[in-house]
Amino acid sequence: MVVSRPPTEEELVERAKRGDESAYEELVRAHQGIAFRTAYLVAGSAAEAEEAAQEGFVKAYRALGRFRRGSPFRPWLLQIVANEARNRRRSAGRRAALALRAAAEGSSGGAAPSPEGALLAGEERERLLEAVNALRDEERFVIGCRYFLELSEEETAAALGLRIGTVKSRTSRALEHLRESYV
Amino acid sequence: MSELDGVLRELGRQVEFPPTPDLASAVRRRLGKRRSWRRPVAIALAVLVAAIGAALAVPPARTAILDWLGLRGVDIVRVEKLPPVPAIGDLDLGEPVTLAEARRRSPWLLAPAEAPDRVYFSTAIPGGKVSFLWGTPASVRLLLTEFRGQESYIEKLIEPEAKVEPVDVGDRGVWLEEPHVLAFRDRDGNFREDTARLAGKTLIWQRGSVTLRLEGDLSKEEALRIARSAD
Repeated sequence: MVVSRPPTEEELVERAKRGDESAYEELVRAHQGIAFRTAYLVAGSAAEAEEAAQEGFVKAYRALGRFRRGSPFRPWLLQIVANEARNRRRSAGRRAALALRAAAEGSSGGAAPSPEGALLAGEERERLLEAVNALRDEERFVIGCRYFLELSEEETAAALGLRIGTVKSRTSRALEHLRESYV
Repeated sequence: MSELDGVLRELGRQVEFPPTPDLASAVRRRLGKRRSWRRPVAIALAVLVAAIGAALAVPPARTAILDWLGLRGVDIVRVEKLPPVPAIGDLDLGEPVTLAEARRRSPWLLAPAEAPDRVYFSTAIPGGKVSFLWGTPASVRLLLTEFRGQESYIEKLIEPEAKVEPVDVGDRGVWLEEPHVLAFRDRDGNFREDTARLAGKTLIWQRGSVTLRLEGDLSKEEALRIARSAD
């Protein structure tokens, strides 16, 4: 019996490598959310994030020949996208504060509150977010990647162009600073 | 620790990101157009290079990649203002080795006449990166870095007025007198932020497939003398 199933990521990558643009479009669709948010975190504006993510995806397509078969696609892609975002931030020569805003009051999504939900109510949430926003860029980026985008340490290292050891030490330093300003 | 961990994760779910644009369609459209726009850009660049000629005066564009200098291993980029980076970054030297060991691992190595105090080997670049250091890692007097390859593994950011002076060493070389930002790239060509640091006077040159970079507090003549002794 022939069962039709959606192609795996590896199959899509292989097809894209051979020049199948629609396979690549599917890959972009699957990863555009995380790629855009990572670029937003680094570049600091939605417009630049969009440009950086788009450019990153186009560059990644051209670099597919260098992508090692069987290795995870997402960190490889995030690295290219975040690099674009960083270049934009760098060449623009500015260090705009990244304004992360808490979403609408309460858990309006209707989802059941998570177990930790009780830990963080209204005012406290604002205060913690302020503390995160006040961190130095390099610390805010690791906190953003690890906790807000929920990237793994490996993916964070790839996205920020750091070694895993540096990600670990920066994360703990950032947590230390947050603890100091948020008690 | 664990409580802050949980609280941050919780906060993360409540942080608002702008809605993701439809990148998939935009990217698809650009892939289809690929050939039609690359050529005009290449021609425009060629015209620009011709206009600049031998003067090496770069127009005050926000970023201009000076790869027409012909240095394969290095990208020199002009930026309006140098980004803030540490004066002493991660030198990323790798492990200390003997000169013989460095030669064994990187047979293409060119050793300078004056013996260095230390030799390091790093695998950060395919084919290896060898660093000769005079002084100590904490107090570097001179640093000579060598690697081989067609790809560029060093990125240098310079300010609009900084002079890039072509010099006669190896196949081609340039001398940078002013402070600039130096960073290495990884194997995929991405900028490695943790290696970014401020660099001083630097001579960069190419010999065959080897890119060499000499940095330290020395005059251009001294740098050229050391460079020409590397064999």
